[in-house]
Amino acid sequence: MKNVILKTNKLCKSFKSGTQEQQVLKNLDIEFYEGDFTVIMGSSGAGKSTLLYALSGMDRPTSGAIRFFDAEIADLNNDKLAVFRRQNCGFVFQQMFLLDNMSILDNILASGLLLSGDKKSIVLNAKELLQKVGLTETIWTKFPNQLSGGENQRAAIVRALINEPRVVFTDEPTGSLNSAAGKSVLDVLSDINDGGQSIVIVTHDLNSARRGNRILYITDGIIGGECNLGKYVSGDKLRHEKLRTFLSGMGW
Amino acid sequence: MNKLWMHAIANIRKTKSASGTLVVMFVIAALLLNTGLLVVINYGSFFNNLKDEIKPSNVYFALPDKIYTEEVKTYINKNKHVKNTQMNDGLVIGADILSKGEEKSFPIMFSNMDEKREMSKWKFVGEHLPAEEMSVYVPDIFKAVSGYKLNDKIKVKYRDPVTKEAKSLAFTVKGYTEDIYFSSTDTGYISFYLSEGTYQKVANILNKPEYRVHIVFANVDNMKNISVIEAGIREILHLNSASLMAADPSTMLVVIDLELIGMARTMMASMVSIMMVMFALIIVIVCLLVVRFRIVNSIEEDIMNIGSLKSIGYTSRQIILSVILQFSLIAGIGSLIGIALSYPALPSISAVFEQQSGLRWVQGFDAGISGAAFLILMVFVVLIAFVASRRISKLSPIRALRGETTSRKYKRNHLPLENAKGKVPVVLAFKSVLQSMKQNIMVIVILIAVAFSGSFGVIMYYNTAVDTKAFAEVPGMEITNAIAVLNPQKDQTEAVKTIENMDNVRKAVYLDEVKVKVEGNEVAAYVMEDYSKKETRLVYEGWYPENNNEITLAGILAQRLGKTIGDSVTVGVGKHQEKFKVVGLSNGSQMGGLNTSLLASDYGRINPSFRHQTLNIYLDKGTDAEVFINKLEDKFDKSMLLTAVNFDKGMAEGMASYQKIIAAMGLAMLIITLLVVTLVLYFLISSSLIRKKRELGIQKAIGFTTYQLMNQLSISFTVPIIIGALIGTLLGAFYTNSLMSISMKSVGVMRSGFIVNQYWIIAFGIATIVFSYLLSMLITWRIRKISAYALVTE
Repeated sequence: MKNVILKTNKLCKSFKSGTQEQQVLKNLDIEFYEGDFTVIMGSSGAGKSTLLYALSGMDRPTSGAIRFFDAEIADLNNDKLAVFRRQNCGFVFQQMFLLDNMSILDNILASGLLLSGDKKSIVLNAKELLQKVGLTETIWTKFPNQLSGGENQRAAIVRALINEPRVVFTDEPTGSLNSAAGKSVLDVLSDINDGGQSIVIVTHDLNSARRGNRILYITDGIIGGECNLGKYVSGDKLRHEKLRTFLSGMGW
Repeated sequence: MNKLWMHAIANIRKTKSASGTLVVMFVIAALLLNTGLLVVINYGSFFNNLKDEIKPSNVYFALPDKIYTEEVKTYINKNKHVKNTQMNDGLVIGADILSKGEEKSFPIMFSNMDEKREMSKWKFVGEHLPAEEMSVYVPDIFKAVSGYKLNDKIKVKYRDPVTKEAKSLAFTVKGYTEDIYFSSTDTGYISFYLSEGTYQKVANILNKPEYRVHIVFANVDNMKNISVIEAGIREILHLNSASLMAADPSTMLVVIDLELIGMARTMMASMVSIMMVMFALIIVIVCLLVVRFRIVNSIEEDIMNIGSLKSIGYTSRQIILSVILQFSLIAGIGSLIGIALSYPALPSISAVFEQQSGLRWVQGFDAGISGAAFLILMVFVVLIAFVASRRISKLSPIRALRGETTSRKYKRNHLPLENAKGKVPVVLAFKSVLQSMKQNIMVIVILIAVAFSGSFGVIMYYNTAVDTKAFAEVPGMEITNAIAVLNPQKDQTEAVKTIENMDNVRKAVYLDEVKVKVEGNEVAAYVMEDYSKKETRLVYEGWYPENNNEITLAGILAQRLGKTIGDSVTVGVGKHQEKFKVVGLSNGSQMGGLNTSLLASDYGRINPSFRHQTLNIYLDKGTDAEVFINKLEDKFDKSMLLTAVNFDKGMAEGMASYQKIIAAMGLAMLIITLLVVTLVLYFLISSSLIRKKRELGIQKAIGFTTYQLMNQLSISFTVPIIIGALIGTLLGAFYTNSLMSISMKSVGVMRSGFIVNQYWIIAFGIATIVFSYLLSMLITWRIRKISAYALVTE
């Protein structure tokens, strides 16, 4: 029996545009489990990213509750949410969002040193993680605009991991990368998941989705279906077929 | 062109907040510049126009009835340097009159308004009513400063000069007057004009020779010859040995010429207007720096739009032109509003000056000056806009469309976090400081400018409202508490001893003021036995005379004579002449800076008839000089004590108008400084928030709180603010006196010595920094609205 790390209760999110109100998430009740590589899929505008950012405390729901381990986060104010994010969440975005005016190492340390005062171990950890994702010492002092997209995204993953978050949230991490760079990023994510790291990913990319062990499909703000693929094994063709069949059933 | 206008206006609309701030800054700059230029150029000419209208004589000699002789009248009338004369009589009293609830002393001269006066006429200002019994027409300052309205009663209190009995006269104000010589509290008499009937009535009441004065107006062939004529009068009347400063008014010759009255009545306005223009220029420079900053930033912010425009065929020249149009429009609107606002502000400024000058300066719209102020601002804005936007021509459309600016390329990783000490937000703030050197230099320059003018304002305010000692020294008089004018014909030894032994007397020292000729020029001379007993040290180079035949010259006199320390000058009275060695140069505006200091023993040699007369009495701190003078007058009869002067009161009243003007100016500079700091910071931080929106969003996403980010941004601005405020404040502390020396040179202050109170200056510097930091925190409060979620969804 897996531990529940995230649980929503009647989660709703709506956006106002002029006089019109669009309800994106509709009374969602979902659970997320420790150690899972959860993939959220769905058509454009279905509410995937909205769900991800509500779960991670980047945005507040319109109504409903979100329990993150033992904490209720839906009602936290902005600053408490910021502290919650730094303590519990790691983020990997499609556009990387590294700070342009800082070196790669500083981008990671700016996040790490925000939480921990133990500079020595943070620096050591950052360097180890950078090595681990294949970023060698020569590029640690470089600025983001001097690196390739893949390198930047791997650096962003290290930044997400530096505080040993309970969950890594990632939104289309390979969306702006070529296939080779995308694969290397997904390999890193699979590796860290193998190490026990919980990951929640939003994607519409099959290659990314295949890495997950649990697929949630959102349709019009509700969970339309769920598919369990089991642990990712490279070259598992059956897994791919199972995913395709599931997605076809969902109208993908 | 229409399209370019469209772009310019669209850009202004898009950046309403920044454009609005710039407009406000140009309003302030134009207001100050136009006001300063109007005062500098027109105040003096307003006085000249008044001269043209009233046609005052070149000089007037006021001869009290007690010393007046037919011989003097004939001497003046027949003097070869005198072209024509007219004599009018008046009645003079030292009066106490209520002025806005406070009793003040005025040297009042009652004049018969129905007496024919062809030279030095006077005129009514504003509405006036027909004369009735005991009605009076008073100088306009009694309306503007003292608050007397038409039909108000005005009570004139005075003391009988012989019996010392307190008396008073009551009049009804029926109108206000203006003339060149008798309207200002600073020079000579203030004239109250009475109808024939009222004048005769008052003359019957003031029926003693001590009240009567004969005013001889004269036009001369050359203004320089006035001192020759005056010397002749003094010789006839044997007035050379008489003290000039504190002598019995009923035996004192008063000579006021047109140059002196012009300088006295416009001096304050000239001084203040120089400060205003300098301050305005500082604000203009700040505005231009901000414009440059805004343009550079807007190019970065709008880089993709610029790329789009280029890609659809707009030339760089057209885009640059639209930038110039945008900022010219902002500057133009602000400048026009500022210039328009300066006109309603002028009457208040005129009223402030009127306290000292007695001139009701009415300034209509001056197209020439306002046009020049507008053009100055616009030309600089166009130039700055052109220079700052030139880089647009270097941008290729594709690079611009990609958002590649030419300026934002990080090459050096300042303060690597791995090695840096301190909390992350603070280290990141310092990183930002090191990465934004151009912006920092601009902030530093702006803060230097505003902190300099602010500390200048603080020093001015301190010297006029808190510790007025240095300000009181400006006229160059010895500051004492009371002055006893003793009878020079009597042995004063016992009297002086008695005064020295009176309660609360700290010291009693002779300091006479006489007239001598230095290199043939008639000048005022201070005479003392021992200058070490002088408490007001006005020598700015060298020292006061210590040995025989040493002399200290006022700076202006030394300049005029081309003499300096070590040179020798000829000093004489009548036919007695001796060579003196110049040992010091001093400040002092007495006789327009034509004054000198001599040892009593030396002066006694060149003027053997000299006897001490003026005894400066220094009282213990807190002693009421008025009470002391009453005791003094009780102790000595009229044969020994000719008169006693309450120096404390005279000084306070004499300086009050100057203090009010300078204190108001200092305070205004301080307030404007803070306002400009507020606007500049609001502008810079707002721009920075727009520029750093992405960066701040990322930081929020990874867990930085709003407070941490506010602090980070505020600290990054506070570092250059500290540097700028420090340099500006130090410059203010060290150079305020140099600046004041420039603006007061014309009045005899060659090296001003205003007190620079280190605690006030340090407090101002710290206050500026703390104010800027708190303001930054307040402005960066907007960071709370920057959402991490918006970053990823936009």
